[in-house]
Amino acid sequence: MTMTTNREATVGSVTRTTSRRGPELLAQLEKYALAVLFAVLCLFFTVYGQTAETFPTLANIRNVLGSQSVVAVAALASILPLTCGKFDLSVGAMIGLSSIVTGSAAATHQLPLVTAVCLGVLSGAVVGLLNGWLVAYRDVNALIATLGTSTVVAGLISLYTENQVLTTGIPEALTDVGSGLWLGVPRTLWALVLISALVYYLLRHTPYGRYLASVGSSPTSARLVGLDVSRMVLSSFVLSGALCGIAGVLLLARAGTANPLVGPGFTLPALSAAFLGATAIKPGTFNVVGTLLGVLFVAFSVNGLVLAGAADWVEPTFNGVALLVAVAVSPAISQRRAGKA
Amino acid sequence: MTGVAADVDDVVLLTRGLSKTFAGTTVLRDASLDVRRGEVHALLGGNGSGKSTLIKLLAGVYDADPGGTIEVQGVRADAGEWSPTLARSAGLHFVHQDPAVFGSLTVAENLAIGRGFARATGGRIDWRRTRRHAAEVLKRFSLDISPDSQVSTLRPAERTMLAIARALQDQDGAHDGVLVLDEPTASLPDWEVDILLGALRKFAAAGQTIVYVSHRLSEILEIADRVTVLRDGAQVVTREVAGMTEGQLVELIAGRSLDRMIPARVGDIGKERVLSVRGLVAGPLRGVDLDLHRGEILGIAGLLGSGRSGLLRALFGDLPATEGDIRLNGAPYEPSSPAAAIRAGFGLVPEDRGAEALFASQSVRENLSAAVVPRYWSAGRLQHRRERADARGLIAGFGVKPASDAALAGTLSGGNQQKIVLARWLRRDPLVLMLDEPTQGVDVQARADIYAHVRRAVEAGTAVLLVTSDFEELALAADRVLVLREGRVCAEVTGADIEPHRLTELSYLSEENVA
Repeated sequence: MTMTTNREATVGSVTRTTSRRGPELLAQLEKYALAVLFAVLCLFFTVYGQTAETFPTLANIRNVLGSQSVVAVAALASILPLTCGKFDLSVGAMIGLSSIVTGSAAATHQLPLVTAVCLGVLSGAVVGLLNGWLVAYRDVNALIATLGTSTVVAGLISLYTENQVLTTGIPEALTDVGSGLWLGVPRTLWALVLISALVYYLLRHTPYGRYLASVGSSPTSARLVGLDVSRMVLSSFVLSGALCGIAGVLLLARAGTANPLVGPGFTLPALSAAFLGATAIKPGTFNVVGTLLGVLFVAFSVNGLVLAGAADWVEPTFNGVALLVAVAVSPAISQRRAGKA
Repeated sequence: MTGVAADVDDVVLLTRGLSKTFAGTTVLRDASLDVRRGEVHALLGGNGSGKSTLIKLLAGVYDADPGGTIEVQGVRADAGEWSPTLARSAGLHFVHQDPAVFGSLTVAENLAIGRGFARATGGRIDWRRTRRHAAEVLKRFSLDISPDSQVSTLRPAERTMLAIARALQDQDGAHDGVLVLDEPTASLPDWEVDILLGALRKFAAAGQTIVYVSHRLSEILEIADRVTVLRDGAQVVTREVAGMTEGQLVELIAGRSLDRMIPARVGDIGKERVLSVRGLVAGPLRGVDLDLHRGEILGIAGLLGSGRSGLLRALFGDLPATEGDIRLNGAPYEPSSPAAAIRAGFGLVPEDRGAEALFASQSVRENLSAAVVPRYWSAGRLQHRRERADARGLIAGFGVKPASDAALAGTLSGGNQQKIVLARWLRRDPLVLMLDEPTQGVDVQARADIYAHVRRAVEAGTAVLLVTSDFEELALAADRVLVLREGRVCAEVTGADIEPHRLTELSYLSEENVA
């Protein structure tokens, strides 16, 4: 009798451990799936005949990394409202606004560069404040509110610039940042590293970041543990706006011109990266490392395809597909992880 | 009060030997109900009496155990074969507590939506005929509202009336069919109840047969001709209502006599008073007085809608108080938000754990720290290691399974989730801990664990306000119980008098009978 019981117990415990190890392995795979996919992709373009010569060169890598910092900062900006459960579709518009404000303040109005940059960042924060007020205190759906503000901002930019690109008078001190290297790495990339560290710190290592995630997880529970939910939502939009302001300055620095039309184009790539990022590293959660990985993945994919001879249609198509795949996969991930499925 | 003189033999709804068993537990045993044509027949019973089960069997929502029969207006079937379709075609019409009307549509649209719109050529809606039909129905039910009004603009009683009219609109005469009203007044304020009862009385006078389910005994006395009382899944009695008192009804529901129910009031227990509330008016509360002492578990009993949860919300700063004086350790206490209440030393375990307490997509560790995050903020960063160590300590102390601080809270069982929510507050050593249905959806072992922890906190000096519908549990856990009824404290029970039957009785009694 005792023998049988013992054996049964052993068998039971064995099956239990194996059945637990299965999902664990799957979870690890899930965490690093995007990173592995990214590595495979890079390897492919490195050995593929048509791209092998250009893709793995230092110049190409520098170029891609340098040009992606604006998208990356926009993506990092968007994950702040996303963490507390709100979309921000105005990141692109705020980037455009900031680059126009900074450019015209410095070039047209001859203001000192520091003042011009501050005004640019401030312009983003003000739009963010409006977004946040609408969403947190007027109870407007975040998608609609931010779509609305972004359209208004685009209209006002058009009114102010008459759709003319501002090409002259951008201070060299700024354009140097956009084109120069520091320790062999594009300066805009250094700016990105700094901002990533800041957002990472904010989300992971401050009570504020914890509160944002709590609000995103359950607003009612958050209220009943004493959080001011509206203020959290408002502040996430303001921070998102300010970061977009910085992204706008980086855009101006890199392009050397202030183009009133390019801003809105950043929204979709930023969201693609944010959602791709939420499937990786900390699946089910918007996270900084995942988001950066998302940006790199999209950027180098498009770069490789373009080098392989694909035309202009590749970039928007790829961005769109990446976003759709990511949003289709991520609810399943977060639901399963939260035990709802 | 009484409808048309009904022929005693003209039974329109008849059930015999109706039983229902869930997983070996019999919730309804051999129930018989006979409703005569043209009468208002009340169906009464406490929580778990089998009343709701009986209604669901009649509606065909549940399948009855074999052996019983249901007969409605000559349509007779084995109770096991009874179905929603059969119920409808036999002329049983149900209107529930929350009438399913569409607020954004007009009255005419609401009336047409179940039966189909009148059509004109080409299949388009014939609005003229739709409106005309609506006007006729409204006239027949003496509803003084326009077919074009938007339903959301109607008053609550009118919405219920509209649902009734919709259910009965295709009935030829008032003498056909049976209208079953399931707690129609539970969510209505008093003055709306009067309007609804007035209208029902008119229907009854016209000869409509009504089965009326309600907790409010005064309504039963006012409107019903006969009453059937269920207790513990069995039919206790069916009798005429005329001449009965509220006390007699309570006696039938609770199964014991009234004279032993008047509770002995006690004065000050002579302990250190932590919280004192005087004349609190907020939401459903209409002037609540209470005192809470250090190291005491004060139970709050009452029916749904009596203001139990409202009281906790008001004290937690989540429901603004319009009047009243609250003192915490003698000092005025006016919480403007949950944050203020928490700072003052309050903790709340809310009723709906999933939506109001848990952060399902966050880890157990993050859930445990939700109310103490600033404690881990030092040297410019969150001290994750210290937080993890504390979380593991709590997990071990509360016996949370699986014993992992990284598991997402949503993946845990109900009992373990509740332990986390409880631990979240107990780790703060709250001055006042408020528990709203703390063992709902919690297994037996976890329930015992939860009360063991609450008891330990109480011995350390925490004062507890405990709300639960489970009066057995209240009897076991509480040192003293206040009974809330319609937003007021109507009785106080202490010591050996705290006993499930008495609490049930008191929850039903109106103030006149207590005073």
